[in-house]
Amino acid sequence: MVVREQKSRVDLAVELCGLTLRTPLIPASGTLSKEALDEVEGVYGAMLPKTTTPAARAGNPPPRVAETPAGMVNSIGLQNPGVESFLQDLDAFDLGVPILVSVAGDTVAEFAWLCEILAGDARISAVELNLSCPNVECGGLAFCAGPASVEEVVAACRSAVPGKPILAKLTNEGVVENARAAESAGADALTVINTLPALTVDARARKVLVKGGLSGPAIKPVALRAVYDVSGVVNVPVIGSGGVVSGTDVAEFMLAGATAVQVGTASFIRDPQEILDEFTSYLKDNSLSAAGLTGALRGVRPVLTGGEDI
Amino acid sequence: MKFYKVKVEEREVLGSYTLLRYRWPDRPVEPGQFVMARAAGYPETLDPFLARPFSFYDYDGEMASLLFEVRGRGTALLDLTLTIEVTAPLGKGFHIDPGLGRAALLGGGIGVAPLKILGRRLDTAGVPHDVFLGFADARSAVVAQEFQGAAVATMDGSAGNHGTVLDAAGPLEDYGAIYSCGPNPMLAAVKLAAGENSLCQLSVEERMGCGNGSCNGCVVPVRGGGYIRSCLEGPVFPAEVLAW
Repeated sequence: MVVREQKSRVDLAVELCGLTLRTPLIPASGTLSKEALDEVEGVYGAMLPKTTTPAARAGNPPPRVAETPAGMVNSIGLQNPGVESFLQDLDAFDLGVPILVSVAGDTVAEFAWLCEILAGDARISAVELNLSCPNVECGGLAFCAGPASVEEVVAACRSAVPGKPILAKLTNEGVVENARAAESAGADALTVINTLPALTVDARARKVLVKGGLSGPAIKPVALRAVYDVSGVVNVPVIGSGGVVSGTDVAEFMLAGATAVQVGTASFIRDPQEILDEFTSYLKDNSLSAAGLTGALRGVRPVLTGGEDI
Repeated sequence: MKFYKVKVEEREVLGSYTLLRYRWPDRPVEPGQFVMARAAGYPETLDPFLARPFSFYDYDGEMASLLFEVRGRGTALLDLTLTIEVTAPLGKGFHIDPGLGRAALLGGGIGVAPLKILGRRLDTAGVPHDVFLGFADARSAVVAQEFQGAAVATMDGSAGNHGTVLDAAGPLEDYGAIYSCGPNPMLAAVKLAAGENSLCQLSVEERMGCGNGSCNGCVVPVRGGGYIRSCLEGPVFPAEVLAW
C-alpha cells in the first residue's frame, strides 16, 4: 500500500494537442478489443480502438499471424464492422479518458468523409489517420508512400474535421519527409511508426505463411530512430509506437522525443499495467515527471550520426 | 493480457505428447475452454514472443492439465521449464445438453485434449457417450490409454483400426450430440458425416496472437461470408456456423 501511495505521487500526466492524458500510454490501433477493456482500466491516458473504414471489411483469409524472433507478422486486412456500427459501439471505450479514433479509406475522399462523420461526435477527442493502407487511386501504393500523397490526404482531413486534432500515423520508410509534409498540411501530431513490411515463409510447405507487417520488440530500435529523427525536425508532438514492451521502453521513446507512447503487440504478452508500473518506478527512482522526459536527449550530441560509416 | 505464474506440479510423457499439471483453484473451467501458456520469466519470454493456446485437458477443481506436443521452440521450452505462465480460462466451450441423448466424441491427434474434460463433464451430467480417437501412428496414440473404452484408429495402422477416426466411428446419424476437436480438414469431415440431425460442435485449432479478441489473428470463415474469432467467439463453434 505504501508503494502505491508513493507511486501515485509521480506525475504521469502529459499534454497532447490540448488534451491532458493522465498517463502517456495509448493502445496502438487494432490491439485492444472492447472485450478486453476491463483488463486495462487505469493504464491508458487515451483510448484508441481498431481502425474504422467507411464500410464493413471482412479482412484477409487466415493465416493472419505468424510469430517471428521477438515479434510477430500480421496481415489482418483491417477487418472491422464499418463506421456506422463502430460508432454504435463506441461507448464501450469510454473509460473516462479521451477517445482517439483511427480511420482508413481507399481514397482521399473516403478519409475526408470519415473525418466529417467524426467531426460532429462529441465523444471523440481526436482522429488518427492510418496512412499505411493502400490508396486505390494510386495503384495501391500506401497513402504514406510519399510526401505529396501524405500532404493531400492530411489537408483533406484537416478541412473535414476542423475542430479536432488530427494525428497522422506514418510508416518508417521516408518518415522524415512524410512527417514534414503531414505537419505542413495541418496534422496536429504524428504517430511514428506503423508495422514494418515483412514476410514469413513456411519452408516445409514451400509457401508464403504471412505477408504483412512486423511488430513487437524486434522493431523497437527502428521506431526509436524514427521518433528521434522526426521529433528533431517537426514542431508538432510525436507519439512513439513500435516494440514497446516495458516501462524502460516507454522512457526511451519519450527521451528520444515522444510526447506519448503507444503500446500494441506487447499487450498480447504482458499485462499493460506492468508496463505502467515499471514506467512509474523509473520516474520515481530518477525523480522525474513523465512530461519532463520528452526530448531530453536533445542537446546531447550523439556518438554516431545516421548513415555514416563508423 | 494478464498471465499467472504457476508451478508445474507434474509432467507426464504420453508417447509423442506431454501432459502437464498445475494448480488452478480460482475459477470454473468449461470443457473446450483454453489458456494461453508459455515458459515463465519475462524478459526471456520475448523470444519466443507469443504464448500458445492449449485446451484444458482436465480440471478437477484444483489441478488443471494441458496436453501438448513439442512442435517448435515455444512448446520445447514449455516441455522443459518448472514454472509456466498461463492466462485465466478463455473462449467459449462445449455446450452440454442432457436432453439430446447419446453423444459421440471424436478427437484427432493433439485435438483429443479437450475430450478428456468433456467426457468427465458428460459423465457428471449423465450423458452416455462413445469416444473415438484418431492418430497418425502408435506413438501418438499412447495417450488413448487415458480414455477408457475409446475406439482408436491410426493412419498408418500401427495401433487400433487402420484409417481415420471417422472410419473407426462409423455412421454418426444415431447420435444426438457430436463433439469434435482436431485438424480443420478432419472437423470438416466430421461436420459432413454428422448430417443435420444432431447438435454438432467443433473445437477449431488456429494460430493465435493475443487470445482475448484483440488482434483478429485467429479467425475462421463463417457461413454467409466473413470471419469470426476463434479465441473469443470460439474455439468451440456449432458446426453450421463454419463455412467448411
